[in-house]
Amino acid sequence: MEYLAHILVMVCLYGILATSFNLLIGFGGIFALAHATFYASGAYAAGILATKLGIGFPLTLLAGTVVTAAIGLLVAFPAMRVGSHYLVVITLALQAITIDVLMNSKPLTGGPDGIPGIPPVSLFGTALTSPVSFLPLAAVMAALCCAVAWRLGASPFGRSLRAMRENEAAAQAVGKNLVRMKLVVFAMSAGLASVAGTLVAHYIAFVNPESFTIEETILILAMVILGGMGNLWGSLAGAAILVLLPEGLKFVHVPGDIADMVRQVIYGVVLIVILRLRPEGLFPETVFRTSTGAARSSVPANGPPTGALERASGTPGEVVVSATSLSKHFGGIQAVKDLTIDLKRGEIVGLIGPNGAGKTTAFNLLSGFLRPTGGTILYRGRDVTKLKPHEVVAAGLARSFQDLKLFTKLTVVENILVSLPAQPGDRPLDVYFRPGLVRRADRENVARALEIASFVGLLAKADETAANLSYAEEKLLVIARLLATGADVLLLDEPLSGLDTVTVERICGVIRDLARANKAVCIIEHNLEVIRGVCDEIVFIDEGRVLTKGPPDTLMRDRELAERYFG
Amino acid sequence: MDLLIQLTLNGLFNGAHFALLAMGFALIFGTTGVVHFAYGPVYAVGAYAIWALAVLVGLPFWAAVLLGVALTAALGVGCYLFIYRPFEISGSPPFVVLVASLGLFIVMKNLIGIVFGTGVKTVDSVAYDVHFVGNAFFTTVQLGQVAAALLVGCGIALFLRASRYGKAIRAMADNREMATVIGIDTTRLSILVFALGSAVSAVAGSLVLLRDGLNPNMGFGAVFVAFVAVIVGGVGSLRGAVIAAFLLAFVQSLGMWQIPTEWQNTIVFVVLFGFLLARPSGIVRRA
Repeated sequence: MEYLAHILVMVCLYGILATSFNLLIGFGGIFALAHATFYASGAYAAGILATKLGIGFPLTLLAGTVVTAAIGLLVAFPAMRVGSHYLVVITLALQAITIDVLMNSKPLTGGPDGIPGIPPVSLFGTALTSPVSFLPLAAVMAALCCAVAWRLGASPFGRSLRAMRENEAAAQAVGKNLVRMKLVVFAMSAGLASVAGTLVAHYIAFVNPESFTIEETILILAMVILGGMGNLWGSLAGAAILVLLPEGLKFVHVPGDIADMVRQVIYGVVLIVILRLRPEGLFPETVFRTSTGAARSSVPANGPPTGALERASGTPGEVVVSATSLSKHFGGIQAVKDLTIDLKRGEIVGLIGPNGAGKTTAFNLLSGFLRPTGGTILYRGRDVTKLKPHEVVAAGLARSFQDLKLFTKLTVVENILVSLPAQPGDRPLDVYFRPGLVRRADRENVARALEIASFVGLLAKADETAANLSYAEEKLLVIARLLATGADVLLLDEPLSGLDTVTVERICGVIRDLARANKAVCIIEHNLEVIRGVCDEIVFIDEGRVLTKGPPDTLMRDRELAERYFG
Repeated sequence: MDLLIQLTLNGLFNGAHFALLAMGFALIFGTTGVVHFAYGPVYAVGAYAIWALAVLVGLPFWAAVLLGVALTAALGVGCYLFIYRPFEISGSPPFVVLVASLGLFIVMKNLIGIVFGTGVKTVDSVAYDVHFVGNAFFTTVQLGQVAAALLVGCGIALFLRASRYGKAIRAMADNREMATVIGIDTTRLSILVFALGSAVSAVAGSLVLLRDGLNPNMGFGAVFVAFVAVIVGGVGSLRGAVIAAFLLAFVQSLGMWQIPTEWQNTIVFVVLFGFLLARPSGIVRRA
């Protein structure tokens, strides 16, 4: 009985660790392999506070969570600067430093000997010393932690995290503040992991560095991957399986001194086999997708176009964006020099020029993805030159990418949903403390996203993942996402390249509708027929400079231009 | 003053050891893009194989090294063919391969422990001299590390620059897709770099066997130092990796002048932190 209860306690603790780790890597796509550090921080905080200061259980939990969340914020900083392999190395290094610190700060941590004699948790006058008495507490805490993680994962914020995981640049381009999101997810993930640490410290009554090595992080990682990244239930299952598996092995006769190593070998093999057979894990992330269910039936299959388009205020023809003498050089290469361009309400400007002329660089400058070396960008008189991409979107200027950058594993409707502005569900505090507001807002947003999907003709595909779309549908989704941002200045980078004539016509129609809705539109395009058909003005760029501008018909008769570009 | 000389010497010899490890890892990682964490245990297995051949089988040490290096190369190729390549073929994202390599790392590390036990393994049959500079000293084995690093370094540089395979490897490291387009057999090259890289690590392993002896955990520090050196040096640059390896060794060694020994690793990692944050592209930037 005690043995069984002990195993269940361990399942609870690893369940907390695996779900919290999943928030970070499965949802956020942040490969920070230092989870055992957060686990250790909770455990040592409890150990030190309880043995040195005589502080008891609920307080040790609170203190551990706060301290560890703060450590999580610190780890988040390198995660902002570097990604992929670099982040893996940095965090593994951090993990190694943790062990060094635990081993060498003897007065505080007891060094290799650890901290013995941590008092047990006392609840209602009884000390929870046996596994059976501890199990209810472990189960309740695990349920609480999972609920907290689940709430975040299933909220619009969780959706934004998954979008960030799929494509960071695109998430910024639809107005997400990645810095804030990363800080939040690190603090949450670390704080939750520390709960398991505090519990284990009181439960085992002893902590030492050996329990928090890199192998521990890899074990938790294996649980997450086994269960399925992005599926929190899966992490619980993964934790249960990898805790039970070695216990089962105890019935097979293995000499004591190598039992632990045999267990490790099995983890490793299980990990590799799962990655081979089911790289998505046992449970794929589908359950966390947004369901469109009831909202879907209320949307007309081909809604009135104006329903999806809010008319922008202001008088047509008014200059909304005015960029003056923009320049950008990379090292010695001048990509853009002295570029001046105005975008007006209700007008479509075509940006043309040979490959490498600086068109996309111009978009990157206007949308805040690159900081210009010189010049200013005014949006309705406000200087937006130094704003970050998500701030530029919030101001009212959004862009698309030539290489689409869809959120591949999100559904069509989620791609659009993520892009809608000012969602209460994107604010973690509201997610927890104003659930009603978040739920109402999200219901409205789903309806709105479906309207937009219907407007571009993707309603039938609303619940498909973006990965399952045809190229033409992908291009339509790009437009839908751009629309959803609610920006009134839209920069479209080659929205029509590589499409059949039917889709080109459809997208041209949408672009005209945008202008009619009083938005300022700028497109990069190579197809001159299309340019002539939709644009009110053409700006011709070559070698980073504006060579000439004017109405399409006049410009296309220009001889010099004809030679340089059309020749 | 004697202490400073000793620490500088230690930095130099350790740097040579790190440089060997870094070159092997750089060849593999730079060319194939596989974050080969199991490089550490492969190196450890190589060193254990040499120990087993020399001590258990009783081969002369030089023969044990030759055979051990060949075995390690084969093991490296095995890792690629049986673990990484199936993932490559099924088009798995890089993180999946990375996690698989962590799995492989754990498996091999613990297998070493199971097969050879966790005690330290040393070779007593090879005698070497101790040389003095004032009160500071170094051994012939440490000289061997520098010589090996020099020889291997020059050999690899020459190979990459002058031979057909070397040029193909550089092309693949630069742009794998283009390399495939112009008809370079990337699978064959991957096998080649896994063989070469692992062999280089075994050379380092043979000398560490003489210098410090072996334990099952030796792989972690090795792949870590190699990885850090490659990233600090700038991915894709062998020269950068070597410079970074020496830099790490000197920082680690000279840091001990003022900071207690047990913080040695922390010093290195703090340098890595600072470096990556300040200059993520490494010492030698790729054009």
